[in-house]
Amino acid sequence: MSLEKLITIVSESLETLPEESLSGGTVFKDLKAWDSLAVLTLVDAVDMEFGVLLKKDDFLECVTLAALYERVQAIRRARGN
Amino acid sequence: MAKSTFQNVRVGGVVTCVPTLEKSIDDCVELFGGNTKQIERLKKTIGLDKRRVVAEGTTALDLCSAAATHLLSAAGLNADSVDALIFVTQTPDYLQPCNAAVLHGRLNLPKNTAALDVNLGCSGYVYGLWLAHLMVSAGGCGRVLLLAGDTLSRLVHPKDRSVAPLFGDGGSATLIESTESKSPAWFSLETDGTGYEKLMVPAGGMRQPSSEATAVESVDADGNVRSLDNLYMDGAEIFNFSISVEPQSVEELLAYVDVEKKDIDFFVFHQANRYILGNITKRLKLDPEKVPMQTVEQYGNQSSASIPCAMCGELADALGANETKRLLLSGFGVGLSWGSAVLEFTDLKVCDLIKLKSEQ
Repeated sequence: MSLEKLITIVSESLETLPEESLSGGTVFKDLKAWDSLAVLTLVDAVDMEFGVLLKKDDFLECVTLAALYERVQAIRRARGN
Repeated sequence: MAKSTFQNVRVGGVVTCVPTLEKSIDDCVELFGGNTKQIERLKKTIGLDKRRVVAEGTTALDLCSAAATHLLSAAGLNADSVDALIFVTQTPDYLQPCNAAVLHGRLNLPKNTAALDVNLGCSGYVYGLWLAHLMVSAGGCGRVLLLAGDTLSRLVHPKDRSVAPLFGDGGSATLIESTESKSPAWFSLETDGTGYEKLMVPAGGMRQPSSEATAVESVDADGNVRSLDNLYMDGAEIFNFSISVEPQSVEELLAYVDVEKKDIDFFVFHQANRYILGNITKRLKLDPEKVPMQTVEQYGNQSSASIPCAMCGELADALGANETKRLLLSGFGVGLSWGSAVLEFTDLKVCDLIKLKSEQ
């Protein structure tokens, strides 16, 4: 997995959000399209792609895309993959 | 885990009753602050569309009573041929007595009839079928009438976007009876009580009786209004719960039954919303043709009535055919509680969706 892949997923999950406008430093809650529906679609997409089921708290604790990427990697490492 | 197998018990008929009043998310412009783009997005993504709600004064008991009367009449049965009533609901007429007893009186059933309520929601239909199978298998009950229904529209706050546009009302009646044919059935029932706060009505029971204080409305971080007397749902957590337990539960039951997905004709899930249904279908790699999904868009999330409503609304022809159809039913929700069953249907005579004739 890579940060670029996560950015692609976020871009696709939040529809109409161009990939170029996103980076590791992007703050979720500053995104115009960020709402509870966006959380659901992103949770689903991350689980399907990376096999990690994120919780709502993960989005509250991880402010940026890079932090969320680290969180997903940490969960995968802890599981041994 | 509670898994079980039965034989010589079959479903003899199913009727679902819905209210006449239809509401649409398109009428909720004010609820979404005039944001019609968000309404379009919810329609497209979650599949929210229409729902049926009761008039004030109509209850789950009324819906289930109408369904039961229609069912007994269409099946050509006398009320005294029913040996037990199971009423699955979380929106009963009274704290006491139970709905099953009130309905027993209304249907004029004989005194040697067992009657009890089961306090479960979206998983409740499967739990009710399981109990009915147990009762018939144990002997003594030749025929059980299972009622499953709720009026969650009465519990949601109209200004709570996280629940108000989702839920509809419905009531069902199902006959479960002994049969000489093999008619095998398999069940698995599960619970995670640590998640009970994710979907609940906090006040109104003995822990926190309804009062002026519990009726006070507050606004949450997302701008949704509700009081402690209203239904609360942590949508993200319930979504996570659904997409993690459901696929696993289905796979485990199929392994227990020792069949493959191709051996199941229809997978009837609790009609939570199209997004969750689609997601479970995708994760289990099911053929979408085998998964009824239209019901929730027409009637809303009907809690324990959603599985029978999907059967009556979408599968009546298939279940009435002479060839045996094998169905997997699965409900999941409040509790947190979930249960799945594999049942066989052949020549099901009564499988009707009706509208409530008169409302107060």
